[in-house]
Amino acid sequence: MPPRKLVWPALALTIAAVLVLVATNIGDSLTYYLTPQEAVDRRAEFPDGERFRLGGLVLAGSFSESGGVRVFEVTDGAETIRVELTGTTPPLFAEDVGVVVEGAWNGSFFEADTALIRHDETYQAPTTTQAS
Amino acid sequence: MFALLGIAGILTGLAGSIWLVVTGVRGARHGTTTGMWRPVQTILGGAALAMLALEAALVADDFSLEYVANNHARATPFPFNIATGWAALEGSIVLWGLILAVFTWFTHRSVVRQEREGDRIGPGALAVLGIVAIFFFGIQATVADPFRVCTEAVANGCVAASPLPWAAAQAPPDGPGPNPLLQNHILMAIHPPMLYLGFIGLTVPFAYGISALALREGGVEWLRRSRRATLVAWTFLTTGIVLGAWWAYEVLSWGGYWGWDPVENASLMPWLVATAFLHSALVQIRRGALQAWNFVLVIGAFSLTILGTFLTRSGVIGSVHSFTQSAIGPVLLGFLFLVVAGSFWLFATRSHLVADSPRLDSLVSREGSFLLNNLLLTVFAFVVLTGTLYPLVVEAISGDRVAVGPPFFSRMVVPLAFALLLAMGIGPHTTWKEADPARLAESLRLPVQIALGAGALTVLIATRIGYVVAAVVAGTFVIAASVSLLLNRARRSALARSSGSPVRLTGEIRRQLAAEPSFWAGQLSHAGVALIAIGIGFTSNLAQHSEVVMEPGDRVVFAGYDLAYRSPFLVTETSRRVQGATIEVAVDGEVVTELRPRANYYGADTSGISTPAIHTAFTGDLYLTLVRIDAAGILLRMDTSPGIWLLWAGGLIAAGGGLWSLTARRRAPVTAGV
Repeated sequence: MPPRKLVWPALALTIAAVLVLVATNIGDSLTYYLTPQEAVDRRAEFPDGERFRLGGLVLAGSFSESGGVRVFEVTDGAETIRVELTGTTPPLFAEDVGVVVEGAWNGSFFEADTALIRHDETYQAPTTTQAS
Repeated sequence: MFALLGIAGILTGLAGSIWLVVTGVRGARHGTTTGMWRPVQTILGGAALAMLALEAALVADDFSLEYVANNHARATPFPFNIATGWAALEGSIVLWGLILAVFTWFTHRSVVRQEREGDRIGPGALAVLGIVAIFFFGIQATVADPFRVCTEAVANGCVAASPLPWAAAQAPPDGPGPNPLLQNHILMAIHPPMLYLGFIGLTVPFAYGISALALREGGVEWLRRSRRATLVAWTFLTTGIVLGAWWAYEVLSWGGYWGWDPVENASLMPWLVATAFLHSALVQIRRGALQAWNFVLVIGAFSLTILGTFLTRSGVIGSVHSFTQSAIGPVLLGFLFLVVAGSFWLFATRSHLVADSPRLDSLVSREGSFLLNNLLLTVFAFVVLTGTLYPLVVEAISGDRVAVGPPFFSRMVVPLAFALLLAMGIGPHTTWKEADPARLAESLRLPVQIALGAGALTVLIATRIGYVVAAVVAGTFVIAASVSLLLNRARRSALARSSGSPVRLTGEIRRQLAAEPSFWAGQLSHAGVALIAIGIGFTSNLAQHSEVVMEPGDRVVFAGYDLAYRSPFLVTETSRRVQGATIEVAVDGEVVTELRPRANYYGADTSGISTPAIHTAFTGDLYLTLVRIDAAGILLRMDTSPGIWLLWAGGLIAAGGGLWSLTARRRAPVTAGV
């Protein structure tokens, strides 16, 4: 066993190592969260394949589905982006309801593999009336 | 009428809390436990009245209350109409007040039963509980008033309200009802109260700790009492977290159970710190060390419950800038600041109390392994805290909204979890003060062999994936270490007692268990955690996933199952319409079950809640979800969750260990007296 003198330095070293690990790892797992407006404005920062989360309302009347791919438009009132979603839609997914999709730009549309309903602690999906 | 009753209840609770602080401080000063019975009863009576008034208003469909108008509907069935009483913010604070009152009642009872001459810590702790209660009844009376009267109703809710119970009320004909997700499964009515019991239960050890600091009473007296209180909270918290994960799995239809969501993290962080305290408290009780650290842990655990409430109830997760939208956010943040700053100021000014902890003799010892366990658990909690708060910091500084993804948590937490499992296996085999490394290695040889054997078996019959094998080895090691410890001790004492004549080993095992119930209860909880680890290893690495479009009569093979789509169905129930598909599941040509994944439609809601259908087998679950159902056919999502039942079983076993420890201890003095 190590001499007692070494306990505090060892502890300090462990804490430092944890801090370094956290600091270096957390940057890699960050996913940006953009509104359609921001996604269009910052298109250059997010080239095709650069993942981020896109959040907005599912535009009424825009949803269609074929061959397991769900297509709909996400809007924040200012910009509207076409989304092709390969993953499943979450419970409570509907038109006119807030949604967050994760994926990346693919040319003019957003290719998503995950969708989450944006909800607060009451699990109430935001609707147009609440969002405005 | 309900508004009047409710507000009377809240104000009674508030008055009782102030009264308790006064009598508690007086009792702490003079070392007497008398005079606190009536204020404690007053708090409990007030809190119960408020909760009952809210529940009665819900059951009676009294839509003149804003809370009822916005969260309830006539069609909401039992028990979800009752659960609506705490489903939204204001109601949840009412339940918070009631549970705090119940804990205060039990704390008072335990203080009185101690019958300690000149007890100052007990009354002091009750005064601290009174202060916390003032805060929670205070916000019910102001920023989170659940009894506001609706003054302007619309067709399906309430848009303006008044805090005055005699205001001219306008009631909508019906309300929107609770969120459909909240009434889709019975677990939703159970798991939040469990979590609350765990969260609020952590107020009691905090109260003992603050009382001891304020009264300058170091030593182990506060610790003995707060460890038991922590164990109560820990048992509820464990149950609540496991049931919450189970609910997510049964209802959210994504096949998972844990997403490192801030709401989930908020419940995990206090659990980790409370678990650390359960171990480090033993070090102080047995060896007098880690005094300062124990204060830090009880203060930390309580602060994390308030932080968790702030994170989940203020809207701050959605955006840093949204938390000021409701008044509750800044108020909770202010309270959190007061708790942390006040506690640590108290701690700093009384550091001489705790400075002279005796040093540990050796790190290879029981206390050494507890030290390691505390280091790992606090680092674990720190990592979760960082991942949860980091997006808030980034947004506050740069304005960018970011999310920290599950990969960060997995990468950081998985190594910690393996280290914890190792410590859980080795620790119980060490002795206090100084363990002999050679004897330690000797007693661990068999568990290590069994664990490696289990790993080899996994490779042979299941998988070569490293994480799965490692989880099996580590988990089996923990369980084998506990069992072999029990058998060793039983065999040794059987040999010592028998002197030639054979003694039954089972009887000896029972005697060992009865002699040290709380130690063995801890071992049972370890085994539960080990099972969870094995379950997570299986589900995270071996789950399969696929989607298929089907028409009635179609068949598909998935993960060894033959699935046949028989027919769609439509059922109309009182509160919902259910649309689904009947799927016949066969294995090796034999029909094993019929699954009915479905979409539930509540009220006027046109978006159905997809509800999975699950077939559970020993090897794991088959999990079917309807993505779409229409005239053309269905889009079926298929998942497997290998070994997921290990998670639920392990969680309940871990909580069962806590329960055993609590109930066994109460019996202990009886046997001691015989």
